Amino acid sequence: MRQAGVYSGIASGGISGRTGPHSLPLARIKKIMKNSNDDVKMISGEAPIVFSKACELFIEQLTKRSWAVALQAKRRTLRKDDIASAIIATDLFDFLLNLVSDSTGHEDDCHEAISK
Amino acid sequence: MKPPKNNKYQLFLYLISALTGAHGAGNSSNINREQPILLHDRPHDQYMPAANIIRIMRRGLPPHAKIADEAKDTVQHCVSEFINFITSEANDRCHREQRKTVTAEDLLWAMARLGFEDYIEPLTLFLNRYREMESGRTSMHGEPFVKCTVDLGLPPGPTNYGLQAWPAGQAHGVFDAHGAMMMNGMNNYYRDNHGGGSSSSGQAAALPGFDPYVQFKRSL
Repeated sequence: MRQAGVYSGIASGGISGRTGPHSLPLARIKKIMKNSNDDVKMISGEAPIVFSKACELFIEQLTKRSWAVALQAKRRTLRKDDIASAIIATDLFDFLLNLVSDSTGHEDDCHEAISK
Repeated sequence: MKPPKNNKYQLFLYLISALTGAHGAGNSSNINREQPILLHDRPHDQYMPAANIIRIMRRGLPPHAKIADEAKDTVQHCVSEFINFITSEANDRCHREQRKTVTAEDLLWAMARLGFEDYIEPLTLFLNRYREMESGRTSMHGEPFVKCTVDLGLPPGPTNYGLQAWPAGQAHGVFDAHGAMMMNGMNNYYRDNHGGGSSSSGQAAALPGFDPYVQFKRSL
């Protein structure tokens, strides 16, 4: 029987959340990938590995940009509308626009305009 | 569709719907909604775990920064959307080329195509390190105490991106442990040969606090 190595976390990552050497659970990544499209049939073993790192880079980039918005507003708490602003301001994040189009920014402005 | 005249709240909702392009400003789900919800809510196993995401977010934030719960949820949704976005593009390419399996290269190609070129270099480095780790590991059969030949002259795994170098000196990121484990395995081989010499090798000493036997202590 093969010795339990650090990559044994790959199979159990989705259940226990244990990730082995990667920051993000590979089984969960694989699940999300399969959900992208009904016809995503087979995924190579390396694909979730690539995503584990890519998602880290993505989170870091999104967080950094969002924090810049919070800083400008002189706040120490990162809020959802900071993330929305960062998404709106960054062309690369256009694919995320539909996630935040219903969020606080617009509504607050409109609400104030209407109640005056 | 005419804007409702009755009250300001309904007018406000109508405006929001118009701005977002959502149809059916009069449908009950809009009117009854008390707070903004994220579109495309998924079952919870379609998201990366919040704890992992928060840990990564904190890396880029000063220690005093706080993160609102809603912000954590938003990033969680964004990550899943990112995975879907890239995977769909990669999957389309596979279909066009009549391949059944989405590979790491497909993902890298898709990311470059969708504007994430800055990710390609660090990802290629990461992938190469992973491949070298894997080929070194399988050649040792996972048993560093068994006398076996470890050949570090292994040809690197196939890649279209050309970065092949084993990182010299201190590797950063998650592979410090792996690199040392593989090298430590080699030292165990020599230790066996010489009947138990000094307990720690030069390489192990370079990583303080590192436990070379963690892979055997870890239980499934």
